[in-house]
Amino acid sequence: MNSDRSKKMSAPPPYHLRPNKTVDRLVFLDAIRRYVRLPRKQEQYTYYTMGGPYLQDVRDMHDSFPEIKIVSIEEKEKICKRQKFHLPCNRVKIENSKMKEYIDLYAANDKKSIFWLDYTDLKYSNFEDFMALLVKVRSESIVKITLQAVARYYSGKEEEFRSQFDAILPSNYGVHPRDQVEYAALLQDMLRISAEKALSGATGFAFQPVVSLCYTDSADILTLTGVVCEKSKLAETRDCFKKWQLSNLDWRAPKKINVPFLSVKERLHLQKLLPCKKNGGKKLLRSLGHCIDETERASRIQLDQYAEFYKFYPHFIRANPQ
Amino acid sequence: MTKKNELEYEDVSTRPVKSFFATMLTRDIKLEDAILDLLDNCIDGIARSKKGLGGKRPYEGYWAEIEFKRDSFTISDNCGGIPWKLHGYAFRMGKAHDRPSDTKGTVGTYGIGMKRAVFKMGKNCLISTQNRDSRYEVHIKPEWIEEEEEWMLPVKASKKGKDEDGTTIYIRDLYPGVSSRFDDDAAAFKADLDKLIATHYAFIINKGFQVKINGTAVKPRPTRLAFSKSAKGIKPYIFEASIDGVDIFLTVGFTRPIPSQEEASDEQTETKYSTQNAGWTVLCNDRAVLFADKTELTGWGEAGVPQYHTQFIAISGVVEFRAADASKLPTTTTKRGIDTSSKLYLRVKNKMREGMKRFTDYTNRWKSYAEESKKYIEDGTPLSLEEIKSETRNISFNKTKHTLLPGKQYSPDLPVPKKEEPNLRRISFTKERKHIERVAEYLFDDRDAKPSDVGEKCFDLILKEAKK
Repeated sequence: MNSDRSKKMSAPPPYHLRPNKTVDRLVFLDAIRRYVRLPRKQEQYTYYTMGGPYLQDVRDMHDSFPEIKIVSIEEKEKICKRQKFHLPCNRVKIENSKMKEYIDLYAANDKKSIFWLDYTDLKYSNFEDFMALLVKVRSESIVKITLQAVARYYSGKEEEFRSQFDAILPSNYGVHPRDQVEYAALLQDMLRISAEKALSGATGFAFQPVVSLCYTDSADILTLTGVVCEKSKLAETRDCFKKWQLSNLDWRAPKKINVPFLSVKERLHLQKLLPCKKNGGKKLLRSLGHCIDETERASRIQLDQYAEFYKFYPHFIRANPQ
Repeated sequence: MTKKNELEYEDVSTRPVKSFFATMLTRDIKLEDAILDLLDNCIDGIARSKKGLGGKRPYEGYWAEIEFKRDSFTISDNCGGIPWKLHGYAFRMGKAHDRPSDTKGTVGTYGIGMKRAVFKMGKNCLISTQNRDSRYEVHIKPEWIEEEEEWMLPVKASKKGKDEDGTTIYIRDLYPGVSSRFDDDAAAFKADLDKLIATHYAFIINKGFQVKINGTAVKPRPTRLAFSKSAKGIKPYIFEASIDGVDIFLTVGFTRPIPSQEEASDEQTETKYSTQNAGWTVLCNDRAVLFADKTELTGWGEAGVPQYHTQFIAISGVVEFRAADASKLPTTTTKRGIDTSSKLYLRVKNKMREGMKRFTDYTNRWKSYAEESKKYIEDGTPLSLEEIKSETRNISFNKTKHTLLPGKQYSPDLPVPKKEEPNLRRISFTKERKHIERVAEYLFDDRDAKPSDVGEKCFDLILKEAKK
């Protein structure tokens, strides 16, 4: 009964092999940047994360928002030690705890929070944590959740999936989706139902989705970011993101990230053409003059992705630490 | 101060206050249950339209469509409409003694369902119905609800006819709480309502009825019990009786393999199954009035039956009551609960406990050998109530004439684990999770290895050392 599919994955690859994950992290920072601005101030916020051994997201957060206090929650003692070694500044508190237990004890004390529930598996308890958190955070807090979204794990096993997630399954769940984006959209619907159950209309609060993305690095992943606020402030919240091309303010299917591997020389060549609003892939491919994948079509799709996410594309270069 | 004997006494009024019906009575019922009440009326309409509800698919061709949005709620059906002769019952608050007799097999008994559902949702309602030659509309307006003295509702002949006999209830001026659930919580509300209808109306939908919610058809989710055709496999316990005009069919068994001790214990600390459909479902004239109950109401934790625990996640039962006279059914006014004072139900409950006990005993006996027990349960085919009923032809029943509840029963012989060898002893202990994970990583290179495997491996290693 206890399937292995929801268990931990093997250690994730290092970040320079995870450009999609990096894009996702930088998109998250962009979302925060668009929301945490006057009248909101970054010093009003505390960032709670499951930062992993290198605290990469903590470093990025501190670089972008130096006034934000940071708490890293880590279940494994060994990793906590490694995190302490990687501390990027003295504003980070390391907590040795399971996220569920941390949320149980968490009290907002009228302070705004930014939470990243960064799960590498898919369990009902992940959704429970999400629901428990939504009812605890103060208004104008940001919550991001990441879930494993590998469609094939439950392919043809609808009953098993139903028995585990029945309480939050949408009414149209029937044949299990095989497509990555469709499956990510199903999980997003489950998050929507969880949010509506936690913050039902009667509470006067709501979870406003802001951006949702799906991608593959070591596994298929869905991430959803949203803002908890009073219903009366929903329009104002949406206004912060309405001009953002990556925003998803009405629970549409998540956007897929699948950025190509490009050489520095290729990127420098393409930068003068960016941004381009329409037919990005076609224009970039024409300018480049060569395919970056097996076929012209595949190359165009990849360059479309680059045109969309180039601002968040990571630049990994060899450094000589001194 | 006025002296007591100077007061002029007069008769006191017991006339009901309209707001009691419009705003107080509605507090007793959940929004979802109010909608189910409206669906019940659709089913009663079918019972009135047809000569009988026998056969495999008596509800075939009948449908009900529910549509909810921020500012309105609509339920339409083709279930025969409200005959004009029943208008006094349909629109009056409560059931009058002189009410014309309804058709056999309907479930409406108290005369409050439709009105309570309407008042629960909003202040403005148009009910239009067509039954053979009668075709009329009743409009409940906000002013009527507020006017204490006015108890009559105007009825108008409908201008347009419907293609089929049926009723449409259209409610506007929704209360803010209701409107919010239809809009802000629309996805969660639709999912919950779908689930409720899929489970509570599973038997009726399986028999041909179609329900749509905002355009999506509800798929039935009946309880299915493992039914093995082999002699050694597991069959459910079955009991049948017919008492005072009520037919009873009861069955209880396994819906899935039993969990191991470890799985049951993990479930206590981290929810793996978001919904546990274990427990008892009680049907009255095809409607589920209780679903997946795990309390004393259905015999758990009483008279030798243990309290419900995740260990018993595999046990489910269904009891069906069927009566031509709905007042004999052991259900409450909401039709979503059991009348605990019903003598009939209390007698049937004995049989529920008797059947359930066989499966809790089995679970306890096999919990240490859950993996081994799987084969007995998986050998069976999961059958619905109707399918189990047709299988009863191939089963030999024992009669229970001189007991509390005369009837006939089939009590399956459930497999018993081979006795543990007398020289075997069980070792069981608890250790800190982080320590178990550390040892698991050391032994298996996998921190998530089963604690029982970690313990056993430790013992085997030390035994090897000790034998040197």
